[in-house]
Amino acid sequence: MLVRLVLHHPYPQAFLQMCNLPIKVVCRSNAEYMSPSGKVPFIHVGNQVVSELGPIVQFVKAKGHSLSDGLDEVQKAEMKAYMELVNNMLLTAELYLQWCDEATVREITYARYGSPYPWPLNHVLAYQKQWEIKRKMKAIGWGSKTLDQVLEDVDQCCQALSQRLGTQPYFFNKQPTELDALVFGHLYTILTTTDELSEKVKNYSNLLAFCRRIEQHYFEDHARGGISVRLS
Amino acid sequence: MAAPTELFCWAGGWGLPSVDLDSLTVLTYARFTGAPLKVHKITNPWRSPSGTLPALRTSHREIITTPHKIITHLQKEKYNADYDLSARQRADTLAFMSLVEEKLLPVLIHTFWVDAKNYVEVTRKWYAEAMPFPLNFFLPGRMQRQRMEHLQLLCGEPRPENEEELEKELYQEARECLTLLSQRLGSQKFFFGDAPASLDAFVFSCLALLLQTKLPSGKLQAHLRGLHNLCAYCSHILSLYFPWEGAEAPPPRPAPTGPDTEEEPYRRRSQVLSVLAGLAAMVGYALLSGIVSIQRAAPARSPGPRALSMAEEDEEE
Repeated sequence: MLVRLVLHHPYPQAFLQMCNLPIKVVCRSNAEYMSPSGKVPFIHVGNQVVSELGPIVQFVKAKGHSLSDGLDEVQKAEMKAYMELVNNMLLTAELYLQWCDEATVREITYARYGSPYPWPLNHVLAYQKQWEIKRKMKAIGWGSKTLDQVLEDVDQCCQALSQRLGTQPYFFNKQPTELDALVFGHLYTILTTTDELSEKVKNYSNLLAFCRRIEQHYFEDHARGGISVRLS
Repeated sequence: MAAPTELFCWAGGWGLPSVDLDSLTVLTYARFTGAPLKVHKITNPWRSPSGTLPALRTSHREIITTPHKIITHLQKEKYNADYDLSARQRADTLAFMSLVEEKLLPVLIHTFWVDAKNYVEVTRKWYAEAMPFPLNFFLPGRMQRQRMEHLQLLCGEPRPENEEELEKELYQEARECLTLLSQRLGSQKFFFGDAPASLDAFVFSCLALLLQTKLPSGKLQAHLRGLHNLCAYCSHILSLYFPWEGAEAPPPRPAPTGPDTEEEPYRRRSQVLSVLAGLAAMVGYALLSGIVSIQRAAPARSPGPRALSMAEEDEEE
């Protein structure tokens, strides 16, 4: 089964590679509009399209590949809870930094988001997206947070992850699970793009070692260009 | 001595110490830690120092409104239920709180405020009966609109044809979340052993609201009733920490007796005042427009009062 993957984050790629599935990564600027639910990432398998990590995992499971079969009930509950924590904290923090921090917005995000479009569409779309994200932040209570508070939340999240990981190679001991893929994806993005967040993550050496281990094991072995960046 | 810390929260009903999720969380946490709070159970959010409920007024006259921040403040004041938790358990607390916030909370809001039957027969009924005049006319509606907006932002704008599917998916995830909580609790008394922690306060308030309220349309409630360890967990906490409120079985008509007697003098007073205001307005209008005049009317005006006397009769009726 050849899977075409359209993404903005590497975690589904990590997950699919952990399942030993052959994949081809395609980066598209209109990925959000191609996806059936409006969200990236999504995968294209044969004539089916599945978007978002949850459904992708279910889809892959239905085809007979699953990473969490060896876990008992309590562990599965913990895994789901930690995945929500990562989504809740890290994803929101990344969005906050991309869209609500004035410096980053001006220098990086507007240019990157609007680059495929001609003027004035690039400004209009970028501004519209920013307004949408700000509304969502306000709804979940992040609207009034300062950058320092966001960084502190990220720090708390990383501390929780670091404590859960401890000295084990993966979160649930010997075998990687969806949680490992998700955490790797987010931490990888943070370490390779933003400065302030990556400083917080670098405080936790076991998390850094974890990322490096997954990168070496699953990515450099497949010799994919563009993904194997030095994490130092 | 500094002023006592005061907590303003929604009043009780449906057999619970408070009908509002956030207020219940804060109350439960306060009971767990034995924090000396002066609790004001009110039904008029405009009487709270911040305009919303729950609200905590600290001894330094600072106002805190979000439940998370209130609990953090209490923890700083040495009322910390998480003190004895290991680092790993604290990490688990963060994780499970995120799980409940993402999966269970939206569906709770939907069950109480968006589902038409529940909203009309249970939620709006309680709030309209409990709130003083004239707030009960517009405040429940406004609260509903706020929560719907909040839900839409959280779950994304549903396309009209997908709305039912989205709802089904949401409820499915909530049911899964409940099952996961049940698996994590197992046969323990609380989530982290024998002593309650902040996670217990949070989870208890979600579950208690779902379990205790008599909902006409309760799909999630039915699933929860099937998870016996969670039901036992709820009744255990209710009987241990809220014995007198939990003992009052909810009457068939959820009429709150406590806040009603408290608001009685205010309600009566506002009723009397509104009747007086109406009378004064009518008499004033009658005098000013000449329908009723005190002194003898001038000759030129005499046809006026006669023609208008019919209007006066109509008006007095």
